[in-house]
Amino acid sequence: MSAKDLQKTDKIDPAKHAVTFRPRVDVLESASEYLVVADMPGVTREAIDVKFENGALTLTGRRAEESHEGASTTLTQEQRIGSFERAFAMPEDVDAEKISAELANGVLSVRLPKQSAKQPRKIEVRAS
Amino acid sequence: MFSRFNDFDRSFDVLDELRRQMDRVWGNLDEHWGFVPGREQALGAATWPRLNVVDAGANLLVSADVPGMTEKDFDITLDDGVLAIRGERKPLALEGYEVLRRERNAVRFARSIALPVKVDAEKTVARVKDGVLTISLAKAPEAKPRQIAVKGGV
Repeated sequence: MSAKDLQKTDKIDPAKHAVTFRPRVDVLESASEYLVVADMPGVTREAIDVKFENGALTLTGRRAEESHEGASTTLTQEQRIGSFERAFAMPEDVDAEKISAELANGVLSVRLPKQSAKQPRKIEVRAS
Repeated sequence: MFSRFNDFDRSFDVLDELRRQMDRVWGNLDEHWGFVPGREQALGAATWPRLNVVDAGANLLVSADVPGMTEKDFDITLDDGVLAIRGERKPLALEGYEVLRRERNAVRFARSIALPVKVDAEKTVARVKDGVLTISLAKAPEAKPRQIAVKGGV
């Protein structure tokens, strides 16, 4: 490795060297739905792709590097930028048609309602 | 006579380097897996929130990833060139919901940064947008970059 290469490695461009990162996720369940909550600070709504296919929920997207006016130098870079992905196998009773997602304060919440047919149903016994 | 001790010292340097490399390996695993059970507790408060520091010419920008938190959740102080951010993120708890998986832990944090330049404390602005806290610190006049005109010869 030449001195020039060393200089190059010293100036790491986080956008090029970042691996796909995995946002932290909480999964909750109530009687009527599943709730998947993911930390996505600095990510815009348009940059998130929520997909449900073959019983799997996939969250993918990209966090863009923050732009600054004029010349700027990054002194510390701990925030993860670049693409992210998480995937979860969901239980069979998810009603795929009714899934909704919302982004607020850098937190993505995906609601996956349960199919009403799978909820306990009371069958009336009639007299003949 | 001292050469042996010097050699001895250097052998520890090798261990230090090895340790740094191992830290990097674990750091990379953290990136790949996102969540390494058991490491959360140890890392938690010391590395949360993730910070960026940017020198933007006239200002110094300190930003922190604080998803789910709002302005009132922070206690920010600037004392003798040290910026301190304190706060607490509460765990997500909803009535009638059972937690199946928990990675977004509650954390009580305190991080401080020794600022590399003098700043004008009066002009500090902090705001939260999209789960990112950004603190803008105006550099003191003597620390601002100065454009020096190069004059032609006589």
